[in-house]
Amino acid sequence: MEVSKNSFKTLSEPVKQFGGLVGIIILIFLTFFVLNNIFGEGDELVAKMKIEEERIAEERKLNKLISSLPSGVLVSFDGTDNFKLSDELYEAVCKATKLIPQRAIMGANFLNFRAHEIYTINGNKIDETFVKWDDEKNKCFAGFVVSGNNVGVDETVKVSGEALSFLSTGIDTRVYFIKNF
Amino acid sequence: MKKLIFFILFSSLITSLALARSTGCKEGNCDNGYGKWVYTDKTTYEGEWVATKKHGQGTETWPNGYIYKGEFKESQWNGIGILFFPDGSTYEGEWADGFMNGEGTFTWSDGNQKKGIWKNGSFQE
Repeated sequence: MEVSKNSFKTLSEPVKQFGGLVGIIILIFLTFFVLNNIFGEGDELVAKMKIEEERIAEERKLNKLISSLPSGVLVSFDGTDNFKLSDELYEAVCKATKLIPQRAIMGANFLNFRAHEIYTINGNKIDETFVKWDDEKNKCFAGFVVSGNNVGVDETVKVSGEALSFLSTGIDTRVYFIKNF
Repeated sequence: MKKLIFFILFSSLITSLALARSTGCKEGNCDNGYGKWVYTDKTTYEGEWVATKKHGQGTETWPNGYIYKGEFKESQWNGIGILFFPDGSTYEGEWADGFMNGEGTFTWSDGNQKKGIWKNGSFQE
């Protein structure tokens, strides 16, 4: 111990300073390593960030496509005076659409009286809406969930069907027709 | 800041005026008689009115493609009528309180049909 102490004293000042610097750097690295193990998410966080970046890029791409579509009604079936969607556009529009306006919900309720009752009792309140692309069926599905107390009974009704018509406002798209029959 | 508030208020006023001009009774008599009413979401009703209610024969067209042609009572689809769905499917028959109630025929856009008694929009097997 005494020998090593003496040999340290014999070292020149620049060497001592360099050794100190290396020591501090190692200490910093070790501190961050320990803190990262305790609080950090490491690879998991990087993976999440990558997924989020990909989602943002995909959303930008879809928004660009949506803004290029003509304003008005876009349909996936043969109709008059409406813009007929190609298979690719149908999928893209489905993936970019989040909104379901009231008339589409009222239309779907024609074939679901229980949903209509809860919807009316609750002052047209909707718990949840969804628009999803089904990769297996190659179709777009949309729907909504209503819940509430109907004549003393708590009920939840989910209405779902094929989204076949959309409205393009020039800024966004909305599901216009849910075929639930 | 004042300019921004003025701009927002002015825009709201112009929007309200424009909406007021494009909605309401656009043709005829929407109190008692025959008239055309346009709603804020562009739904239109053209037909007979009694005491400011849709009553008698009329056509209601929704902006998303649903069209009902037939009888109205107390502003609701009541009586004999036909509903055209946006994809070309139709229901022709009896209606009560805005729903398929009674005898009627549902025809899908591919031509398939279901004929019989309906209750609140459901086919009675």
